[in-house]
Amino acid sequence: MTLTNCATEENHEAVIEPITAKDLKIVKKSKDRFAFDWSIYKDQEVYKLRLKTSDLILGLMCLIDHADPETNAIEIELLEVSTENTRSTKKWDRIGCCLIAYACRESFKRGHGGHVFLTPKSYLLEVYPQKYGFIHVPMTSLARPLGFMVAFDEISRKLIKKYLD
Amino acid sequence: MTILPVVELIKSDCMKSLKDIEKELTPEEIAESYVFPGAKDKKDRKEILDVYRDYRKKISSKQSAKNKLIAELLQLKFLIEDYVTTDNYNAIYHFGYFLKEYISRIEKNNKEFAGEIDVAPTELSQVINKHRRPTEKLIYRLELHSNRNFPALLWFKVLEKERAYELTHDKRIIDSEKKHVKQKLEFSI
Repeated sequence: MTLTNCATEENHEAVIEPITAKDLKIVKKSKDRFAFDWSIYKDQEVYKLRLKTSDLILGLMCLIDHADPETNAIEIELLEVSTENTRSTKKWDRIGCCLIAYACRESFKRGHGGHVFLTPKSYLLEVYPQKYGFIHVPMTSLARPLGFMVAFDEISRKLIKKYLD
Repeated sequence: MTILPVVELIKSDCMKSLKDIEKELTPEEIAESYVFPGAKDKKDRKEILDVYRDYRKKISSKQSAKNKLIAELLQLKFLIEDYVTTDNYNAIYHFGYFLKEYISRIEKNNKEFAGEIDVAPTELSQVINKHRRPTEKLIYRLELHSNRNFPALLWFKVLEKERAYELTHDKRIIDSEKKHVKQKLEFSI
């Protein structure tokens, strides 16, 4: 898995690993780098992405493993890339993509067949399919009026191949 | 119906609000950088998951046999990859265990599989049951049989992990080899 340095276009190895209590304290103090309050997810499954050569956290993701046979999927509850890497002036590219591909890999690994879903914002309904190949499922509930974005089978395999291999 | 606004999850004293994020970034940049959380209320969550389960059921019923097989093989591959990269050793996860899983997932019996890779069924059985070490030829044939989806290097890493554990934990080997070493360095570096 690699991130691309936007200035040099060189690829650098990255790793995704479970977050520690110490990491969460650091994230909490990094108010200018992460907008979400990640401390409320301390008892959940949270992963961090960093360069192999550095401890600096570049991205975070919270997953919910729906292991029951009826759901049998992983939900991306929250994902956030560090502020300095979110716009055109960013230093590192592919952080969010690698995290999403990692969720797909975990889904295969846990026997969920690569099924991953997330909540879309209305203005992202067309972007997720273009960017990641996610399918918009317009099955709605009152609590989720826009339905879901889902990935599975070939879509998840492509993401893993593109961003993790 | 209570939908916890995303903005409530953003640190109250943080530099940015959700509106700032949406104002500053293009939809493409947001899709690359954020997945925002959904409803938190238990009743809402149940309703959402019920809807998702309906969809999941439909998709599962349409899944092709090929995609099902690929998913099972990918699961095995990722389990092996993660196992060989962790520091933890587990005696259950030996070479033969993973080989047996591979054969089982492609729905073959040992005899059929031995025929497909031109190995004697007894040799295959002994490797699976940890009574014999796999040869290099077997490992390369596993790579070829899997159409290189399970590279020889991955199988070698499983073996390497077993070997490393044996070398550091098998006191009998160390004791029995001691008598063959007549002279040794007398200092530590």
